Amino acid sequence: MTEKLSRRDFLKLTAAGAGATAVLTGCGPASRYVVRSPYAEMPEYTYNGQSTFYATTCRECPAGCGIVVRTHQGRALKIEGNPSHPVNLGKTCSRGQAALQGLYNPDRVEAPQALAAGDRQEIDWDRAIRVVREALIGNRPEEIAFLLGPSPDHLYDLVSEIMRSLGGPAPLCYGTQALFEARATLVQATAQVLNRTALPFCDLGGSDVAFSFGANFLETWLSPLAYGRGFARMRRGQVGRRGFLVQFEPRLSQTGAAADEWIAVAPGTEGLVALALGRLVAEARGGLVPAAYREVDVATAAEASGVPEGTLTRLAGIFANAEHPLAVPGGAALGHVNGLEAARAVLTLNALAGNLGQPGGVFLTPVPNVHPDSRRGPDTLVEINALIGRMRSGQVKALFVHGINPAFELPAALGFTAALENVPQIISFASFPDETALLADYIFPDHTPLESWGYQKVRTGSDRAALSGAQPVVVPFHNTRATVDVLLAAIQAAGGDLAAGVPYSDEVDFLQQSLLTLVQEAGNIAAPEIRTFMTQFQQYGGWWAAEAGLDAPSTPAPLERPLRLIEPEFAGEGEFHLHVYPSPILGDGAGANRPWLQETPDPMTTVMWNTWVEINPETADELGLEDNDVVRVASDFGAIEAPVYRYPAIRRDTIAIPFGQGHTALGRYADGRGANPVALLGLKLTGAGDLAFAATRVRLEKTGRTSILARLESRIGVYGEGLE
Amino acid sequence: MSNPLEEVGHKWGMVIDQDLCTGCQACVTACAMENNIAFVGEQDAAYGRSLQWIRVERFWEGEFPEVKSTPFQPVLCQQCGQAPCEPVCPVYASVHSENQQINIQVYNRCVGTRYCANNCPYQARVFNWRDYREPGPLDNALNPDVTVRRRGIMEKCTFCVQRIVQGEDTARAEGRQMADGEVVPACAQACPTEAIVFGRLDDPDSLVSRLKRDGRAVQLLEELGTQPSVTYLKGGSSYGRNG
Repeated sequence: MTEKLSRRDFLKLTAAGAGATAVLTGCGPASRYVVRSPYAEMPEYTYNGQSTFYATTCRECPAGCGIVVRTHQGRALKIEGNPSHPVNLGKTCSRGQAALQGLYNPDRVEAPQALAAGDRQEIDWDRAIRVVREALIGNRPEEIAFLLGPSPDHLYDLVSEIMRSLGGPAPLCYGTQALFEARATLVQATAQVLNRTALPFCDLGGSDVAFSFGANFLETWLSPLAYGRGFARMRRGQVGRRGFLVQFEPRLSQTGAAADEWIAVAPGTEGLVALALGRLVAEARGGLVPAAYREVDVATAAEASGVPEGTLTRLAGIFANAEHPLAVPGGAALGHVNGLEAARAVLTLNALAGNLGQPGGVFLTPVPNVHPDSRRGPDTLVEINALIGRMRSGQVKALFVHGINPAFELPAALGFTAALENVPQIISFASFPDETALLADYIFPDHTPLESWGYQKVRTGSDRAALSGAQPVVVPFHNTRATVDVLLAAIQAAGGDLAAGVPYSDEVDFLQQSLLTLVQEAGNIAAPEIRTFMTQFQQYGGWWAAEAGLDAPSTPAPLERPLRLIEPEFAGEGEFHLHVYPSPILGDGAGANRPWLQETPDPMTTVMWNTWVEINPETADELGLEDNDVVRVASDFGAIEAPVYRYPAIRRDTIAIPFGQGHTALGRYADGRGANPVALLGLKLTGAGDLAFAATRVRLEKTGRTSILARLESRIGVYGEGLE
Repeated sequence: MSNPLEEVGHKWGMVIDQDLCTGCQACVTACAMENNIAFVGEQDAAYGRSLQWIRVERFWEGEFPEVKSTPFQPVLCQQCGQAPCEPVCPVYASVHSENQQINIQVYNRCVGTRYCANNCPYQARVFNWRDYREPGPLDNALNPDVTVRRRGIMEKCTFCVQRIVQGEDTARAEGRQMADGEVVPACAQACPTEAIVFGRLDDPDSLVSRLKRDGRAVQLLEELGTQPSVTYLKGGSSYGRNG
């Protein structure tokens, strides 16, 4: 070969000489096996072989835990807790751990889509923004509705501002997570007993005896990691003393299993038990019985609740003699028609114990001073029902949905899906093709939480005021766009008064302006101006007050008002109470598309990948039901089918079904798996106007079929093969 | 000249307080995410083929209404000092590590006889009955420090050996001793109640050594003489107030 032979000539020669053999490896199929991002695209701060860690906020539930994500060459690899974050102090739960499988889920909505007659067509973001602009300014303000989920808060604050500027209705915020926590009912009870519209914080860690009335605080309730830490401190944190936890609930929950004693009270009588205990405690302490308990008859309460008087007296003695007794209201105990009164009765026990604002007692968490005017009201089912009514009668012309999957989460009896048909334009911001998104006209996918900016106000769980910060840990994986940016772009395109009233250039600008109020406050960040503040906000994973401190409730003498409880009422006919509880692993059902959450065993039954019906073994014997027999559970409102799990620790008049499965969409890991128990729920309400989700009666029918549940508790397998 | 490996040789161990364990399964998921453990799907899970390296056991005692579940018990490879899985392996895939005093599984030696799993009294070993590939883009989250296993390979808890080695390397590079608590496996790092404590058993002042001397300490199937590195602190203790 001569030196003059150019590369082009060489190629010609080889092509002629070697004929069809592929020598051009640069273009052949082999090249596809090696894909390297050019260094020009290497993410910032990335070094070969070294991981970069980003602090952000977990959004798998609204508790607002801080996380630190390990990234490696632009990929997110592992989530750990943020050790300096006041909510979780470095700890994580299953759902937080599996959040990566949301980010890298194979079934994400990868680009904006227009849906028509079952057909999903990709569109570009310019058209998407035009659609949003038209929906915002082409309709009268009262014809626009925003339905938002429990997180993120910065989106809620922005939408509140937009709707104020437009003169339309405030956004609604709902979700089954909050429903099963009985959040709205609890907040109202706190307002009545403790004089502030807020969630109470129960200092489990400082108490030596705690009575929990239905609060499943080690699973999903309010702030499970904060309460888990409190539980550990209560058990082992004090030298020579081991805290004592009693759980009152009809079905033994995971929290109940960790407790020292489980009292199987009849559904709807939890408040009655709290009242009887209050009277007995007051009597045990001697002196005048306060007005609150003077009308309480212990014998009646014992009979109605199924808890013997002797047990009540013994428990009251423990509570009365404790140094730091504590009573925690929550969950299904508040999901009855008398749920509000039950919550008041339990909170009043704390007043009786004199622990309000005391170590081991009840506190109120100060909320950080960010957009205080858009204090997120705990919306109730009554407000959701009003929205559905407006949708049905054609008064809603454009519905925006973000962070909630109402077609899956809301009780079927409300008729949300049918009402959607009368809404001309439905815009979903879902990251996944969930049930609601598939009924929408457009899906404009938001980034998943790990690709997002934002903040979450910590409402309970921390020992101080805290604003948990979120930042992207990786570049967006698909052609998605932040919902805040989409809304702001649409508003800028609309111009006029609206653009003047919402003067933010983009999401980060909105965040920085929102955080301005915190720059001067004493906290973990010392920065003279917003840019430095923002940098540290990202670095720490949020802002929190410099000094630990919670507010003591200023109570208007709750013991002086007589407490009464109305009789529990139940929707529909049937021989069983239906106890629906949120799956400790799948949460509000959004976790069902994470394969590792599906394969993480349920703590109590060890079942994976499915829905089951828990039934007392004796009752099951009477009905001739074995494990894995499929039963039809029917209420007056709907019916579902699921296999039986003979659960030893449930009342004989109650059956329990976990919530979280039963999706008809949401991708390959969730779709068509298990059953959704909200189909069964009747529409009784608590005194606060939220759904009394534990107040439905159901019937059981055998179907004669079996369907085998995958259970970890038998490692040799559950099909029974090779056992004979 | 002394062997440089000996200088970093530690005996690693774990203590699990069953009185603190709430059964929340955070350790199970954290372990899977750290160690590239594949999910197997519903049917294979029901055949007992799921690949969790750690499981949370609970048993029922009594009948309603006097029923209760036993304290939750996370069970993982006990990293035995006299491991029953080791002598039965024909290819030395299940061997003892001199450095960390743990039982390690050498994936590229394993030929899948499953003798080790049959001989493990703790049922801590799991076998890859198929190639459980994670569909893209889920595989983006795979940990580059941990081998992805294929069909026919036995696997089990490693005490997150990749973290131990990294911690030891860092300490050696910086010319110092490792601090207690410097290395934590994924399960202990996630554990919301700090029921799982990890550390060096060769250091009598480490937290794990002190907890191991607690009056509630027991080891699983002690009578077999396997010398586990995992110690349990009994739950539901009767001292103090109990009703």
